[in-house]
Amino acid sequence: MKVLHIEPEKCTGCLRCEVACSYVQSGEFNPSKSVIRVSAFERGHTSFSPYTCFQCAEGWCMTACPVEAIDISAVGAKEVQDDQCVGCKLCTLACPYGTIFYDPEREKAFKCNLCGGDPQCAHACPTQAITWIEDFTQDWTGAFAAQRSAADLARIGATNGR
Amino acid sequence: MLVTEKKRNQPAGYAGALLRVDLTTGRLWEQPIDDEFARSYVGGTGMGARILYDEVGADVQWNDPENRLILATGPLAGTPTWGSGGLSVVTKGAITGGATSTQANGFFGANIKSSGFDGIVFQGRSDQWVYLYIHNGTAELRDASHLLGLDTWETQDHLYEELGLSGHQLSVYSIGPSGENLIRFAGIQGDYGHVASKNGCGAVMGSKRVKAVAIVRGNRGIYVADPRGVFRTADDIAYQMRTELPGQNFYLIGTLGGVTGLAPVGGLPIKNLTTNILPAEADMSKWEPMELREGFDHRGHQCNACGMHHCHMQVIRDGVHAGDVVDEPEYEGWVGAGWAWGCTDRTKVSWMNTQCDRAGVDVNEFGWVIGWVMECYEKEYLTRQDLGGIQAVWGDADAAYELLQMLCTRQGFGDVLAEGIKRAAEHLGGPAQDCAVYTMKGSSPRGHDHRALWPEMLDTCVSSTGTLESGGPTRPQELGLPATLQVQSPDDVPRQVALTLGRRHFEDSIGTCFFTTSTTIAAIAEAVSAVTGWNYTKDDAMYLGRRTAALMRAFNLRSGIGPELERPSARYGSTPVDGPAAGVSTAPHWDHMLDTWYELVEYDRESGRPLPELLDRLALPEVKAELWG
Repeated sequence: MKVLHIEPEKCTGCLRCEVACSYVQSGEFNPSKSVIRVSAFERGHTSFSPYTCFQCAEGWCMTACPVEAIDISAVGAKEVQDDQCVGCKLCTLACPYGTIFYDPEREKAFKCNLCGGDPQCAHACPTQAITWIEDFTQDWTGAFAAQRSAADLARIGATNGR
Repeated sequence: MLVTEKKRNQPAGYAGALLRVDLTTGRLWEQPIDDEFARSYVGGTGMGARILYDEVGADVQWNDPENRLILATGPLAGTPTWGSGGLSVVTKGAITGGATSTQANGFFGANIKSSGFDGIVFQGRSDQWVYLYIHNGTAELRDASHLLGLDTWETQDHLYEELGLSGHQLSVYSIGPSGENLIRFAGIQGDYGHVASKNGCGAVMGSKRVKAVAIVRGNRGIYVADPRGVFRTADDIAYQMRTELPGQNFYLIGTLGGVTGLAPVGGLPIKNLTTNILPAEADMSKWEPMELREGFDHRGHQCNACGMHHCHMQVIRDGVHAGDVVDEPEYEGWVGAGWAWGCTDRTKVSWMNTQCDRAGVDVNEFGWVIGWVMECYEKEYLTRQDLGGIQAVWGDADAAYELLQMLCTRQGFGDVLAEGIKRAAEHLGGPAQDCAVYTMKGSSPRGHDHRALWPEMLDTCVSSTGTLESGGPTRPQELGLPATLQVQSPDDVPRQVALTLGRRHFEDSIGTCFFTTSTTIAAIAEAVSAVTGWNYTKDDAMYLGRRTAALMRAFNLRSGIGPELERPSARYGSTPVDGPAAGVSTAPHWDHMLDTWYELVEYDRESGRPLPELLDRLALPEVKAELWG
């Protein structure tokens, strides 16, 4: 099965994935509508990581949805069906990864649907930090984020203690 | 606070408005950008030149409240085109007293458009120090007294914490202590390492008492005319950058190839242009481009949507500053923060380069100032006592850092150095003045030894922008030039500079970085077409560029800057005494090169005025009326 594979070490924080994704989501270049988001660590000087739904096996959003508006698509994406979504936001509370969002203009939840099997973020990424390859899926950024955040916390601690 | 409505009918590719700020009254308002204004002036330098020409009169000095400070981006900003975070700064500058066009990248262009504006026009002067806060179509002047004295990186750190934001959610473009103290070569620095440094634009910002512009990444989308075309043209440019020279060099390694590439042709400035022989202590293997990158712990730090292997952060590995995160110097940083004054220890140079960015000074002029001080110290035109106890020995990075602090705070002789190289040299006069590198307009050259690279010397001297105006032709053939350019030919050089005039202004008007558009003008014009729906061509691009150049030249003539100032200082125009370009000199050819350049750009040789026929062709009747009656 093809998955969206993310290697945070390769990300330079250019946000080109957000620009491309936002076009698919909204028809405009508007990163606030992107469902892939680049997080910055170390004050954004040296560490970035793209972060989006990795289509977890548990499917927390799908389980929580009271109207069964979230399906699994042919390419393995948990996909919001706009005609069924009532905009209750339960899915956004249920998702432990923070990768399903609520659009107040349309009053619908929205998330990564793997662009129907041709993810534009992977096309857009100039450093191959995001690729669309055969692999097992997993939370690609958790360990990286934990390590970088620990470094940040250690630095802040050191500053406060000085 | 200004609160604006989300726009519905803005031109494709534009947020649709310039944010106008009158600092004297505290009033903020929107100046809508309609289709005609967008098509005529595009953005960045093009729009800035028009506003500067229209609104700043002959009697307005650089530090007069009536001066305008324009920070603008263009239609490609925020799109998938590489490097689309562009900022161009236009103002009446503190160095030349004439027009300025200077650029930085980062995320300025992308973030300001997502927050509802294509640019900012400052006028007036604030009573109190302020910073401008912009978010989602709102704008507000906020007290900046707590930011005073902070360097540019600290200012951004502080605003991150104050506003609770991180990474690229917030762009901060600020002045350092140098801009606050009106150092004439102060620049505007943003997003950790991107500096619009030329012609004292930071001093202008300081004179208006604006410490920083803080732009929060907003939620306003950019509507484009042909989205598929935007992706296609962005990918085409990226493909050309990856596979074709000269862009490929920048793609692979940014400008790091400069030191070892220019040394063999005499283009690397060493010790204030006193020699072109590499110092014995310089280990050139450490200056190979890949060594400059791999010799430090490093990480890509790209601008908006950029895939170049250009901007990086690096970590100092050893010495007293071990562990410090710095911005990997550009080629010109390696020179201005080191080679120009004899420091060839790359660790020290790298650290010094970021200190210049943090202080907010132009690293090129810093190099010429420090080089001149060190030469004067060696020749005893300046003593240790003159310098407040500093022993300014060639290559001494500690001395250079002390001089940086001294000039940024205008202490002692720092007050003289703060006026820039030309004024400092004139202050001392005599043989010391003959050692200084500058143009008679007051600007100083970029980080190359132009005595071996004549196009840049001619360009620097005839420029109306306070720095190179034409820039390199990138693809010479498309401008009617031969594929291989002779850089020391009295006939080829003015031809190259003249026929290239306009290209850089176009690139600086569209909201991208000129490194990422090192390809054909036609390819870039196609990207503009896809965003705007204009059917834009190479000829349109050069027309915009020439029009912008004419506006800036007319502005400079109005400001009293004419052809009589178009020559290098004694040292800048001197003959290399040794090295690869020993014995060659522009001096015997200077008038001939000027004659040819004037003829080709269609400016009047005596008065410097763009000729009436040219102004007719450029549809600038008001400029013609002002210049020719």
